[in-house]
Amino acid sequence: MVAIAIGLISLALTDSIYNGVIIQMFRDQVGTHVGHLQIHRRGFNENKVVQNWLPDPDAVERRLAADSLISHFAKRVIAFGIVSSASNSSGITLVGVEPERERLVTTIERSVSSGGYLQTGQRAILISRRMSEKLSVRLGDKLVVMATALDGTVGTDVFRICGLYETSSSEFDRMFVYIPLSYSQQLLGLGERVMEVTAVLRNPEDAYALRDRLAPVLGPEFEVLSFAELIPMMMQIITVAKQSMVIYYVIIGIATMFGIVNALLMSVFERTRELGILMATGMKNRNIVTMILMEAFFLSIIGTVIGLGIGIAISLLLAGPGINLSAFAEGLTMVGASSRIYPVVSLDGIINGLTVVPAIALIAALYPAVRAIRLEPVRAIHYV
Amino acid sequence: MELIRTEDLEKTYQDHTIPVYALRGVTFSVGSGEFLAIAGPSGSGKTTLLNLIGALDRPSSGNIYIENHSLRDLDKKSLSALRLNRIGFIFQAYNLIPVLTALENIEFKLMLLGVPTKERRERALRLMGELGIAGLADKRPNEMSGGQQQRVAVARAIVNLPQIVLADEPTANLDSVTAHALLDLMLAMNEERGITFVFSSHDRQVLEHAKRVVILHDGQIVEDNGKR
Repeated sequence: MVAIAIGLISLALTDSIYNGVIIQMFRDQVGTHVGHLQIHRRGFNENKVVQNWLPDPDAVERRLAADSLISHFAKRVIAFGIVSSASNSSGITLVGVEPERERLVTTIERSVSSGGYLQTGQRAILISRRMSEKLSVRLGDKLVVMATALDGTVGTDVFRICGLYETSSSEFDRMFVYIPLSYSQQLLGLGERVMEVTAVLRNPEDAYALRDRLAPVLGPEFEVLSFAELIPMMMQIITVAKQSMVIYYVIIGIATMFGIVNALLMSVFERTRELGILMATGMKNRNIVTMILMEAFFLSIIGTVIGLGIGIAISLLLAGPGINLSAFAEGLTMVGASSRIYPVVSLDGIINGLTVVPAIALIAALYPAVRAIRLEPVRAIHYV
Repeated sequence: MELIRTEDLEKTYQDHTIPVYALRGVTFSVGSGEFLAIAGPSGSGKTTLLNLIGALDRPSSGNIYIENHSLRDLDKKSLSALRLNRIGFIFQAYNLIPVLTALENIEFKLMLLGVPTKERRERALRLMGELGIAGLADKRPNEMSGGQQQRVAVARAIVNLPQIVLADEPTANLDSVTAHALLDLMLAMNEERGITFVFSSHDRQVLEHAKRVVILHDGQIVEDNGKR
């Protein structure tokens, strides 16, 4: 029982930490930039060039505004370019945003750690702290942004740094810089054109249904992509994390199975004489098997409840302050995970623990039960 | 009326590669209501014979009949049912279940028979009262003397009124006064309730109480003072 409880403590903790990492990664990735749904010209996601501008964005906006599943949406310009300071330069993904609407769609405003967020009409640029270090610049310094314009020429403009942001993803911080939408359109010679509309939904799970509903309405010129298509790598990491949990369940299951087989075999061995008495009294094999299975079941239930209870309690205690994994920060931020993990107890994890372990215990108890009924009463009674 | 019949009963054990002949062609019968002792020196086959009659073990050859039903033809399940319904056992070492109280040990057989809780409790308590052990109801085996444990074992054996009670050296661990009292008790059960008792013993007191004595020697019957 102690072994089961220890196994379940570790299972509950691991499960809640995995959940915490997955939920945080998802929230960070979706919340920082991707949103739940994006609409582009067909082919833009594969080939992000300014020539793939979004046709008729007003019609798209009208359509989104009329949909009750959508909470907020915002237009963006996206382009690859170069940003240069006096001492260094870096390749970037330039994002032109409507500051007031963007703050409702993503968490970028809340990620600003120094200075301030973009203001509409302000010729300013928002970069990450990581990039400011690379470019050796500070708040208020000027940066030159260059990108290929719609007509094939190179658009150039100068912006003053209004703020520095920090997200949990080092890759994101290395690449993304923000300027107001109007300046990006001016820089790239786009006129009123934009590259995409990003939307957030009231319930993220509706993204697939909304994608399937909007795509035929908007027509073949458009591509409507849910977060799953926009961040396939992240979804794969989440899938792998979930599969790892399954493997962990299997390992705990096997350990539990061996523990229970061992405990019950010892129990059968120690109670050989009593089993002999029960057989002599006329107890049927079926009853003996039931007795041993029930013993395993209750043993596992008690162990599971205690283990899960302690595991959940520890997870909840850690959920407030989080677990500081800054020692592994570099590796974590590379995959878009924060260096502080906040465990999340899931109902699935509790149900899995409460069902899988007792079920395994019952299977594991079959062997000792068969051993018990194979005892010959006459030898069992005289067993010393 | 014939209750038990053995026919040319043989039991051989393998001690490594050497065969040990515990019973060699035992043929005898026991009538309903008998109070019979199987006597003989150690190693004569008394316990083996009781184990075979009680369906705890299977013979190497020969057969046993209980009310003309061949035990050889019964599967494990039927043998369990036979032990539960028709046979009660009393062992030399009492063999009470240590984690159960005296009352629970007695009740246990009735529970296996599906007797409702209230009824089985009443029956067990009534029997304990009759056997003079009502005060032991809540005691566990390790809190009782040998004589008390053996009385509880007798109660357990007869609580469901079996046809046969098989007692393997029931007085071996008891002092003579307690042994005498226990034998009187079993004799009363035999006379009042018509339960057939078959003992194995080499205790002179037991043999004096027995109405019939069968003597075994080297796995064979050498004397039977009441041959049917």
